[in-house]
Order: sequence, then C-alpha cells, then structure tokens
Amino acid sequence: MLGIIIGVGAVVLMTGVGKSVEGVILGQIDFMGPQTMALFPGNEGPEGGNSSMRPDFDAITFSDTEALKTLTTVKYIAPVVFVPGNAVYGREETDPRIAGSTPEYYLNQNIEVTEGRFHDQKDEEASNSVVVIGSDIAEDLFFNQSAVGKRMELANKKFTVIGVLKPVGMVFFQNVDDRIIMPLSTAVAMTGRTYADMVSMQAVDDFDIAFEDVRALLRQRHGITVPEDGSTDNDDFLVRSAAQAEEILGTVSISLTVFITLIAGISLFVGGIGIMNIMLVSVTERTREIGLRKAIGAKRKDILLQILLESVFLTLIGGCIGIVLGIGLDFLISAAVNKVLSEYQFAISIGAIFLALAMATVTGIVFGVYPAKKASELSPIEALRYE
Amino acid sequence: MSSQNNPTNGFNGEDSPLIQTKNLYKSYFNEGLETKVLFDINLTINKGEFVAIMGPSGSGKSTLMHILGFLDNHTEGEYEFHGKAARTMDEDMLAKVRATRVSFVFQAFNLLPRASIYQNVMLPLIYHPIIPAEERDSRVNKAIESVDLTDRTNFLSNQLSGGQKQRVAIARALVTEPELIFADEPTGNLDSASGIQVMKVLQDLHDSGHTIILVTHEQSTAEHADRIIELFDGRITRDTEEFKTRWAVDEDKLMK
Repeated sequence: MLGIIIGVGAVVLMTGVGKSVEGVILGQIDFMGPQTMALFPGNEGPEGGNSSMRPDFDAITFSDTEALKTLTTVKYIAPVVFVPGNAVYGREETDPRIAGSTPEYYLNQNIEVTEGRFHDQKDEEASNSVVVIGSDIAEDLFFNQSAVGKRMELANKKFTVIGVLKPVGMVFFQNVDDRIIMPLSTAVAMTGRTYADMVSMQAVDDFDIAFEDVRALLRQRHGITVPEDGSTDNDDFLVRSAAQAEEILGTVSISLTVFITLIAGISLFVGGIGIMNIMLVSVTERTREIGLRKAIGAKRKDILLQILLESVFLTLIGGCIGIVLGIGLDFLISAAVNKVLSEYQFAISIGAIFLALAMATVTGIVFGVYPAKKASELSPIEALRYE
Repeated sequence: MSSQNNPTNGFNGEDSPLIQTKNLYKSYFNEGLETKVLFDINLTINKGEFVAIMGPSGSGKSTLMHILGFLDNHTEGEYEFHGKAARTMDEDMLAKVRATRVSFVFQAFNLLPRASIYQNVMLPLIYHPIIPAEERDSRVNKAIESVDLTDRTNFLSNQLSGGQKQRVAIARALVTEPELIFADEPTGNLDSASGIQVMKVLQDLHDSGHTIILVTHEQSTAEHADRIIELFDGRITRDTEEFKTRWAVDEDKLMK
C-alpha cells in the first residue's frame, strides 16, 4: 500500500513541479523571445575539454561585429563589453554588472524603461558619459527616488543616469536587474578594448538559418577549417540561443522525468507485491467464504472477478491517498519556492492524475491476478473444510 | 420449482429419478496413498423424498452428500442427476447446477459474519443465472419470513444465536427455490430446543414439496425423515426404502 502511495504521489508531485518549472522557463524564454541569440568568444572545445585551455577571449573583434551587420538573417547586432568596477552614489556603493553596448541591445533584449530613456546613437557618437540602470541599482543607490539626472560614479568616472529599466527578475537563474548599461563607445574608451565580450542579436526569421549564417561568416573571417565530422571543435566562438537553452532544459526535464518514472515504477512494483501479499492473506483467511460462494453456485470467473476488484479497490485507495499527498506536497513546495521566485506558480497536471490512477488500477490487476486465480481454483469442498 | 422456469436444463426431465448412483466409489489420494471412503453405493432418490443419511463419524456420509451435491467428484461408478451423468458436466455446468438446483445447510452455518441477514440470504441470487434482479428483493424477504426472522433482517449474522444462524442458512438455501436441499448435521452445533426448531422448519419444507437429504449421526434427528439410509465404513448397511420394497417382495412371495 505504501509503495502505491509513494509511486503515485511521486508521479503527481514531480509532474506538478515539472509543470511549474516549465512555466517559469517558458515565461523567461517568452520574455527574451526565442529569436534572441548570443555570440561568445572561445569554445568549450571537444567534449571533455576545458575552455581555459583555449583562451580565445579576444576572438570576436569589432570588425567581426561590423561584418555581421551585412547578414540579412540577423538583426539588432549589439556587441557588449563588460566594464569592471563599482558603482558609487554619495555614500552608497554597489557591485553591479556594467556593460557597454549599442542601442540595438535594448531592442534584442526586449527591455523597457520605467523612467527616462535609453541611450541613443547620438550618445554613442559622442561617447557620452550616460548610463541606463537596472531597477535593483535604482533601489540600492537612490532608494526609489527619481534617479534620472543624478550623477553617479562608475569605475571612478562620473556618469549621468538617463533611464531606469523595468524590473525583470531572474532570467535563466540570473538576476538581470543589477545591470548598468552605457554606450559601447564610452566603454571602449574606458577599457581600450578592440574585441567584444559577447554579441547579442536576434534572428530575423528562422533561427537555424541565422545560426548557420553567423557561424559560416565567422569561420570564413577567422580562417577556420571545419573538421571532417562537421563538429565545432576548431571554432573560436560559440553561438547560443534561448531556443537552445530551452532544448537543454527540456533534456534535463526529460531525464528528470525518466528518473521519477523509474522511482515510481519501482515503488509501484514493490507496492504491487505488497498488495499481492495482502490479497493472498485475504484469500487464505476467506477460504471458507470462497468455498461457500462456490457451493452456492459462484463460477470460477465470479471469484476471479471478485478478488481482482478487491485488489484494484485497494490499489485505487492507495492511489487516491498518493494523489492527495502528491498535490499537497506540490502545493507546499510551490508556496516555498514562490517566495524566492515569484514566477514559480503552483501547477498540477490533470493528465498525471489520470495516469496515476491508471497505474494504480493496472498494478491492482497485475498483482491481483495470482491471488484471484488461486482463489478461483479452490475446490469448494476443500475450501469449506478449511480451518 | 426452478426446474420449470429453467428452459436450458439439459436434463432428461421428470422420467428419470432425481438422484441415481450405480456402483459409486470414492477414494481420496494423499501423497500417492489411496484411502477408500465409499464402496459400491447404489441409491435412487426421487423427487419429494425426505431422506436421512445416517452413520457414525467416518462412515462416509458427508462425503456421499458432497458428491450428491456436486461439491466433490466420485472416483468410480456413475452418479446421474435427472439422468445426466455428473462426470459429463464441466466446471461451469457444475456451478450452474449448484446455483439453480441444489442448496446446502451446513453444520457450521457458513454465513458471512460481517454481512447482514438480508445480504447473506441475497448471496445465492447474485450467482443465479436466471432469477432477474428485480425479483431478488421479494424473494429474499419471503425466504427470511419463512424462517420467521423478518424482525432481524438487518442484523449482522454474528449478532445472532446458533439457532437463528441456522435458520438464516436455511433461508439462504431456500431463496433460489432449489429442487433439492442438503442439510449436513444442521442441528449438530445447536442446543436441543434450537435443534427442534430447525428440524421443524425442514419438516415444513418437506411438507410443502421440497426434496430434502439430511445427514446426521443422531437417530432422533434421522427419525424426522421418511427414509433412513445407514452408512457404515463407506457401505450402505440399511436403507428403509429397500427394506420396504424387499418386504413387499417377500409379501408377494408369501401370497403365492
């Protein structure tokens, strides 16, 4: 019985949690847009390799990013340069992620301002010392007072706040509200960089075509020969996308599902053996009753059906308890996680409940067959004589 | 009687005797060892008879009753029911005969303890292939009434006295209106007053036309029957019916 409860409970719980997690991830992908792509320098190398062995951090130059603009399959190409340093306003100090990028960045990241404006091409041309800040920075440094027009210090250089970003929360388990964005030209001037730390862009239409175009262009510009097996081993860059991330998470969730199914299967098997034992004891205890039923005209089939129904009834009770426990646990987990991650919503899968009930029924039938067969084959007189 | 409302009986009908055994033997086999229980039983029982099978314990009387009631198989010889040989019946046919034509009253009552009187009496109707569901309720109530337990219809059977339990068992045996009722030591577990009550119920059943085969080891109980068959060590040692016929034959001889 316990096995049935655990098995069914696990299925209901995990499908519920899976659905909630899926909701969070899909929400984030929706937010970024599945077309969003990112290009990084370096390569993870062949499987089992280590990126630190191939320090290609300067692989993507600004002339590469200019060349990308000639492609028709990608748009909003925004090179990003990270600027190390703290943000200081008055006595307040914080440790943000400071990035320089072009105005296209705002477009491909689907972000909005709640106050002020984004920086524009004019700021870019003049390398103005202006910044757009994330909502957490606005809160930490300016305590929710209007930040626009305030002068703050970034890496010992004075900047004017021109915009505050709308809060986004976690994107792929990373808080993006603590970023500060300045014009790319300003960041380049501060760091003296000739290469991008990453390039953010969007596929115009089909993601796969855009992906191939970007890869082909960079391979050609970097003189990379593709190995015979068509792998990316020789590349000095990586292209990633939201859709790819979704696929990876999908794989993770599939392996999780397989794992849970395995646990559920084992629990149900153990539970089924338990049910079989209960039924065997019950059949033995009621040998006289079965004998009587046969003596007054019950057919083998009648006895078989009776014991099977009893077995299914038992497993269904276990199944119902499991479903209630599974939903209850799912609810508690949701309530707890929701406090940390507001996008995590309580969800149950109706399909999983029906699946769980079906599994309980099948377990009842499979493990009820042996006791039922045993009972139905009792000779009426032997059974009546049984003490 | 149910034989009339049973169109698919497959029996030879009323010409053949209800029960006829020819050179019937029964042995039990246990780990290759044969124990002979019944020897050369030749018996004819007709419809409407009230027969007592008597004998000490171990004489084979219960075994004979179980064979006649289709609860057990015989080893050799023939047992015909309405002219149809028992050994030609398959499992389903046997179940059908048990459901429609015979019923049992056991010494140990064999009621379902956690079920009510009503449910206990209903039980055979669940397995009855012919009686329609809408007739069940009235049949159950009628059967309970005939053993005078209407006021206890919804009592659980383990709340009853021994005599009451046996009357419930009789009601259960009656409810399908079988041709033949077997009673195996029906008074064996009862005090004498309850025993007399139960025997009166059986007597009334016989008077209303039921065929009854009673198994007992008590002379006083057996005397309720019209005919007494005595068994000893698996053999028929006395049959009052045969005695009567033999007597009649002798009388014929005497007349000559």
